[in-house]
Amino acid sequence: MIKIENLHASINGKEILKGLDLEVKAGEVHAIMGPNGAGKSTLAAVLAGREDYEITAGSVTFLGKDLLDLPTEDRAREGLFLAFQYPVEIPGVSNVNFLRTALNEKRAYHNQEPISAKDFMALVREKSALVELDAKLASRAVNEGFSGGEKKRNEIFQMAMLDPKLAVLDETDSGLDIDALRIVSQGVNALKSPENASIVITHYQRLLDYIIPDVVHVLYDGKIVKSGPKELALELEERGYDWIKESL
Amino acid sequence: METIVSNKLQQFVVGLDPTQLPVPHTLQLMAQNHLLAKDFPTTKSERFKYTRLAKLANAQMSNSLLLEKGQLSQHKILTDAYTVYINNKQIILPTDLPSGLQIKLNTEDPDAFHEASFYDVFGALNILYAQNGISIRVANNCTLDKPIQIVQVNSGGKYFYRHHFNFGENAEAAVYIVTKSTIDSNSFAHTHFQYDIAQSARIKVYKIQDCCAGHFDFHEDRAIQNATSHFEINTLTLDGSFVRNDTMVAVKGEHAQTYLNGAYWLKEEQHVANYTTIDHQVAHCESFETYKGVAADRSTAVFNGKVFVRKDAQKTNAYQSNSNVLLSDNASVNSKPELEIYADDVKCSHGSTTGQLDENALFYLRARGLSAATAKTLLLQAFMEDVLTYVKQDEALAYVHQRIADRFSWKY
Repeated sequence: MIKIENLHASINGKEILKGLDLEVKAGEVHAIMGPNGAGKSTLAAVLAGREDYEITAGSVTFLGKDLLDLPTEDRAREGLFLAFQYPVEIPGVSNVNFLRTALNEKRAYHNQEPISAKDFMALVREKSALVELDAKLASRAVNEGFSGGEKKRNEIFQMAMLDPKLAVLDETDSGLDIDALRIVSQGVNALKSPENASIVITHYQRLLDYIIPDVVHVLYDGKIVKSGPKELALELEERGYDWIKESL
Repeated sequence: METIVSNKLQQFVVGLDPTQLPVPHTLQLMAQNHLLAKDFPTTKSERFKYTRLAKLANAQMSNSLLLEKGQLSQHKILTDAYTVYINNKQIILPTDLPSGLQIKLNTEDPDAFHEASFYDVFGALNILYAQNGISIRVANNCTLDKPIQIVQVNSGGKYFYRHHFNFGENAEAAVYIVTKSTIDSNSFAHTHFQYDIAQSARIKVYKIQDCCAGHFDFHEDRAIQNATSHFEINTLTLDGSFVRNDTMVAVKGEHAQTYLNGAYWLKEEQHVANYTTIDHQVAHCESFETYKGVAADRSTAVFNGKVFVRKDAQKTNAYQSNSNVLLSDNASVNSKPELEIYADDVKCSHGSTTGQLDENALFYLRARGLSAATAKTLLLQAFMEDVLTYVKQDEALAYVHQRIADRFSWKY
């Protein structure tokens, strides 16, 4: 699905990713944990194509294509989805209108006909129910006036609508109470299939009680320094990151 | 009456005939005196600080051409309205007016000039050289079943117009003022609009400005509002290489509401200036002012919004905002909000922003698969939309959307 090799990325001349390697196969869920400033959100931003970052070395192959060569929108159309840590409020742009445009631009990219209004609305109903997102929120301006939990549910709703191959969830659990966490996780789990994969970036083990990872990675100082089974997350929760830093 | 004015002004008025309208003599004298001391305004004068008039002073206007009614009617926007056509010297009035509505030439209405005044050289010239205009009266308690539509088409020459509206007590009306010019004509028009709004009248004015390059379009709007009246004036500038709007609302009766909105979509070398004044003279009134614009290429926009709250205007609520998005490094906006408050128990706010599109929002939309161009268009449309929500008439809104789509490739 995705293969990241020796990825180096910097912002304003400061190197954040320092030779990151990661491979995720179809059907897998990978969790990336790590202390503040390790480069977790940078990894998500670089994968989505944020132009503030400069890639100084390395490669990312996504479904056989050079991901770093594609503009942001083409990465999305190829099937990459980033659930934002801080979803952006966009006054005046309606959620459903923008999703319909997004869906149709993706379909045009794949030489498919635009979705009919009827099929689209049916999809909206089905997918908003999945994350228990009020239909009213679906038609309001993108994230405007949404609570923290509603914004995150809206991210998963959009993900469900766009049906990505690879979802990168950037600290989707931050700012969520237990109920919202459960709903968001249910949404993610419901979308899981042998054909797609997820990278779950998180600070806390808590989320991984709901979304069970196949592999847990520790990102520290711009590199993956340790990988292990899901139990690694529990160990990190208990012991913190110092023992990993010391073992380097 | 003969007027002696200096060099450039003198050249500018060559060929213009002194007004034949019943403009009060004292006012004509004041206008003459005003002009005696003045030349063509330069950027040194406060009112024209951001507007270069050299192009106008040097412009050769093309010969004034009268259009036929068939040609004029192509410029209308609303199919079902009481429509007046104004084209240089000719005015075509509608027939079959309902009771309660009068539309006449202003020469037939002696009251049409009673509140006349001027604020700059062009206003003074209008008093001295106005060729014609109309007078519209809506009777007390009359609710018009259809809007009034004034289609003013400029086709060469220099023209000064004076239009007068008198809205009676508890009257309700919508007025669409469509300004156009013919392609390839160089022309100048200065139009003065006077709106007298009686107690409890509810009046909405929509100005749709869609002139071609080569036309210089000056508008002076003067409104006087009485108690519990509702007055809304929306100025939408869709095209035109040179547009100047000077809108002034005097609020003279308590519990009146004023909505003053403007939107402009500029590109190429367009220059559009909006000067507004809301003068709160009495207590318990509210005003809401929103002007928004986008400026591409080498265009320049000016917004100068004044709000006066006089000493007696306690409990006034006045809100003003101007926001702009610049789409090129060479476009510029000069935005100047001004509040002058002399009362102590009021709520007033003003804000002005000029910037670029939100990079985070653009990235967010692109990360969902929208092309950069689509994302940009979506954000710009959303940015301008709140001014357009005031346009409730479908044909007018469709026209506005179509023209924006033509000029900016935005899809609605």
